[in-house]
Amino acid sequence: MKVLLVCSQGMSSAIAAKALQEAAAKQGLDVTVTECSTQAFAEEIKNGYAIGMVAPQIRHRFDTLKAQADAAGIPCVLIQPQGYTPLGGPKLLAQIKEVLGEIK
Amino acid sequence: MFDKITKFMDEKLSTPMAKLAEQRHLRAIRDGIIATLPLIIVSSMFMVIAFLPNSMPADWGITQFLMANQTKILLPYRVSMYIMTLYAVFGIGYSLACSYDLDGLSGGILAELAFLLTIIPASIPAPGAAVTALAAESADLANYLAQVPSGFVLPMGNLGSAGMFIGIIVSFFAVEVFRWTQKSGFKISMPPQVPSSVARSFESLTPTAIVLIVVAAITMFIGIDVHGIVSKIVAPLVSATDSLPSVLLIIFLAQFFWSFGIHGWSIVGSLARPLWLVLLEENTTNYVASAAVTNIAAEPLYQWFVMIGGSGATIGLAILFAVRAKSAYGKALGKTAIIPAIFNINEPMIFGAPIVLNPMLIIPFIIAPLLNGTIAWFATSMGLVNHVVASSPWTLPGPIGAFLACGNDWRAAVLSILLILLSIAIYYPFFKMYDNQLLEDEQNADNAA
Repeated sequence: MKVLLVCSQGMSSAIAAKALQEAAAKQGLDVTVTECSTQAFAEEIKNGYAIGMVAPQIRHRFDTLKAQADAAGIPCVLIQPQGYTPLGGPKLLAQIKEVLGEIK
Repeated sequence: MFDKITKFMDEKLSTPMAKLAEQRHLRAIRDGIIATLPLIIVSSMFMVIAFLPNSMPADWGITQFLMANQTKILLPYRVSMYIMTLYAVFGIGYSLACSYDLDGLSGGILAELAFLLTIIPASIPAPGAAVTALAAESADLANYLAQVPSGFVLPMGNLGSAGMFIGIIVSFFAVEVFRWTQKSGFKISMPPQVPSSVARSFESLTPTAIVLIVVAAITMFIGIDVHGIVSKIVAPLVSATDSLPSVLLIIFLAQFFWSFGIHGWSIVGSLARPLWLVLLEENTTNYVASAAVTNIAAEPLYQWFVMIGGSGATIGLAILFAVRAKSAYGKALGKTAIIPAIFNINEPMIFGAPIVLNPMLIIPFIIAPLLNGTIAWFATSMGLVNHVVASSPWTLPGPIGAFLACGNDWRAAVLSILLILLSIAIYYPFFKMYDNQLLEDEQNADNAA
């Protein structure tokens, strides 16, 4: 399963991406996480992702990004602030499961 | 009580204000300018190299080599940062067109056309017989003539930040014309027998014709000096941005948004970045020309002296968590947050500590950068450090970035280190209070278990 994380410049999301990847590996799930900037999101989300996740600090851009994900037919959620930390991997994973159900 | 106030302020104030910055024209400016930042950063480094001799012993071979080739080394800078509006305009047109679901490439090209129509090419005639005769007698004149190009020449002065505001205005104009012709059907329509690809190529002629005729009429045929007019209007705004009250206001707003967990710098930057670029490029131009550099508060000032370790000057807090935390959570956070913090990424702490909506940590989060800003502003205006002249990559560790941004000034690195120490001092009492509270919670949880 592929997950796309988006933040302002694709820098801080790399940290959350790593946390998510580790949490998924611990549960034996095959999850690949990619991060990108707001500007790149509209194009990137078209590349076969299961879900797009928006960093909390750009929540004022969520509506715009959600519309771009909708256009590609991909679900898109706003990351809870508590999940956006190096220790927040399990929370991110839980949030994905909430939207997509159990991950195979 | 605190929860209620913050919830109210978040819903009624910070989020709606942040959403304003998402207005499509502001977004187009932001995206267009951000697209040029790699270019500005890389070409800035050419400038840093060209002026390395200023901070090296004069008798070194490398110093003399750089001095002798300075003009040549600066040429890449001349066709990149020096004319950055030329690039930004394309991005602005592209982004605005995309936001209307129009073809981005057409939008970018139309915007570029509209901008270049405000730059009047000069035609330089070849020297006449009388001038050539004079040049035969004066080596000075002959030398000068050899350097003067003939034929059509595009003056570069307004292709850089000096033309930024005109660039923004005409990009908007071009894309709005594009949108209007597409929506209103005011375009050359072909009879249905004409193949659709041919028909489309005629349709795109209308916005191009309108943009070309209108802008050329204003700037070239009537001869209105749009750059002169707009720079007069914008001048007070630019100099106001350079003042201490503006610096403090900008810092406060950025921290205010971040306190709610919204990317404050990105929002404030959407509005201020064009002005910062004007300030920075004026400095750069003067620096390269060896003239007096006078502007204080371009973006690098904030990057290297105010927001050290990320918005809120949180480098101090990261260091404290890493080396002084007693609570298990604080230790774990410090371990993961310190490395990104060195490279000015602090979301792990903002959301991890958290600082967001945490009254204990919000206080130093706002005070530390305000104090840093005040000190940096005075240090620069009193000449204790050089004015910022280059844009170095924002992920460099503070002192290194400061050294480069101030044109290889070691005093800037020292100031950066002093401000890091100050940040530690300001965060310390609040950190201590918070860490103790975490520790207490952990012990209570242990006892309960």
